[in-house]
Amino acid sequence: MFVLLRQLRTIRREASLRPGDEPRWLAIRHVDAGSCNGCEHELALLGGPLHDIQRFGLDIVASPRHADILLVTGPVTTRMAQPLQIAYEAMPTPRLVAALGDCALGCNVLADRDQLAGPLSELLPVDIRIPGCPPSPESIAAGLLDGLRAITQHPAHSSRVSTTRDRRPPQSGTVWPGHGNHQPKEH
Amino acid sequence: MTVPELIDARELRTALTGTLESGARFVGAWATADGGWRVALATVQGTRVLVCTPAGGRVDSIVQTVGAAVWDEREAHDLYGLEFDGHEPLRTLVDHSAALEAWTTPVRGGGVHQVAVGPIHAGVIESGHFRFHCVGDRILALDPRLFYKHRGLERAAEGRGYGQALPYAARACAACSVANTVAYAQAVEDAVGLWPPAELRRQRTLLLELERAYNHLNDIGAVCAGVGFAPGSMAFAVLKDRAQELCRQAFGHRFLFGAVAVGHGPATLDAAQADALRAQLRELRADAAAAWRDLEFSASLQARLDGVGVLSHDRALQFGAVGPAARASGVVRDVRTDSPRLAYMGFVPASLPQAGGDVAARFQIRAAELEATWELLDGLLSEPLTRSAATWQEPGGGVGVGRVESPRGETVCMVELAAGRVARLHLRSASYANWPALADATAGNLLPDFPLINKSFELCYACVDR
Ligand code: SF4
Repeated sequence: MFVLLRQLRTIRREASLRPGDEPRWLAIRHVDAGSCNGCEHELALLGGPLHDIQRFGLDIVASPRHADILLVTGPVTTRMAQPLQIAYEAMPTPRLVAALGDCALGCNVLADRDQLAGPLSELLPVDIRIPGCPPSPESIAAGLLDGLRAITQHPAHSSRVSTTRDRRPPQSGTVWPGHGNHQPKEH
Repeated sequence: MTVPELIDARELRTALTGTLESGARFVGAWATADGGWRVALATVQGTRVLVCTPAGGRVDSIVQTVGAAVWDEREAHDLYGLEFDGHEPLRTLVDHSAALEAWTTPVRGGGVHQVAVGPIHAGVIESGHFRFHCVGDRILALDPRLFYKHRGLERAAEGRGYGQALPYAARACAACSVANTVAYAQAVEDAVGLWPPAELRRQRTLLLELERAYNHLNDIGAVCAGVGFAPGSMAFAVLKDRAQELCRQAFGHRFLFGAVAVGHGPATLDAAQADALRAQLRELRADAAAAWRDLEFSASLQARLDGVGVLSHDRALQFGAVGPAARASGVVRDVRTDSPRLAYMGFVPASLPQAGGDVAARFQIRAAELEATWELLDGLLSEPLTRSAATWQEPGGGVGVGRVESPRGETVCMVELAAGRVARLHLRSASYANWPALADATAGNLLPDFPLINKSFELCYACVDR
């Protein structure tokens, strides 16, 4: 135990991301929509002591009900399109969608077209784009933070995000398990 | 060299029984778009592929003799429409359109209920669905339903040149991408008649062991996470991250994408780079050993692992389990002992004094294997790494099989070529082989222990779903 804790202390000192610039608390829900698992491996490291995304007021949560950001990996297979939609509709508004990795961005996707419902941008309004195959944990953290910064600073987006806790619950009629009634927003 | 053997489909079962009695082992089966059915067997002389075309799309099932072929037949039925006589009931696997009863185990009795989990899970986890049949918290049976991530990679690779098709094997799964692509490269080289010289064998072995190192570090941390032992999961997450950083520094990618090619080895290290990597790996090894010792002395962690999720020796054999999971159940089998196309001369697979087949055993075997991997890496890095190319042997038979020990066990890639293009590519990863065994090891355990049991196998969904 002592060795483990000592190692963690050293590592914590070496962490490199620049400090957060404004107070926020945003919850992220991850959905794997058909990735190769590379994006997940890197994303999972974000919560570790090296990158420690919690210190920037971001955390990964277990339910879309608690989430502000839907973070999607993979090119969106036909089989994941509906679960993805259900997760999105279960989120309170305002909500954001982040595309993590080239597959989610619809770039260089290797797959049989018949098996894909994506790209993600045709199914949901994508607010944050994090390219890479896979993006490293640093780029994921930086991508999320830069994306949020751009949205909160851009007047056109001001209604799309709230960095405080004034969230509204999902409206009845669009809540889980309703699906198929979503109109992709122009963005 | 793999020689495809054309047989009458009606003779398949007889031919198979004979071969198995003489010591061969089933390593995979796949259907083709023109109604063909292939069964691959590993023998001491090499891989044999039995090729047949079942009349009217019906063939005798082999699952009575080969328990490991259950998923292969279910997949061939769903994707290629083959019917298997004697496979009763033939549950759907890849096809998600079927009713619940068509793919779940019938379980009846007082107090029996189902618990459905997924496809989306609570953390950063791949998508897949589990249906538990329970009485109270006790699991009677588990039906995993995967293939939510089915991208049709095999079909998408068809018709491409064999160099172009390699990324489809790589992207099947990032964490097994070296194993998958080396198996693919071996299959193509086998099919066309290429042989890797010593330098190429060393290069691929080095990449495979680097992949194993970061995966085993990850998987040890995963068991800690399954228990909720944060110091362990955090420490090993950092060690894994460091191992991947070494991959990036040496070969340009944290998952080693692009480091394997068909017919040659693009990765190079000059003497200084090889020395530096070797020194950093030694440091990592020392830190990993210290962290592991700490885990061994964490009584609260260890107490959670014993006797949970037992895969018995017999069941491991019956299901054709592979890799660390099989070795933890006392099935001491490792493709590295039989890899003439790689640099594993004299390799001795890890074994445990008490291979109980439980979470504790799967945890310990990874630490033991990690030691072997550090040792191998140290030896492989004693010289610089230079470019190398495979050499032509006698022309191959157009069908090739590559077998590689991935971090999760035996991964088999089968390739059929026509006019220099991929006519059929099939990847049977170690995870594919082990999912039925995992489901079996879950029965009889408590539902809240499932995440821990699942983490102790740490199987991929991506390379199963393809
Ligand atoms: S972007 Fe790359 S790493 Fe991420 S899921 Fe797609 S292929 Fe995998």
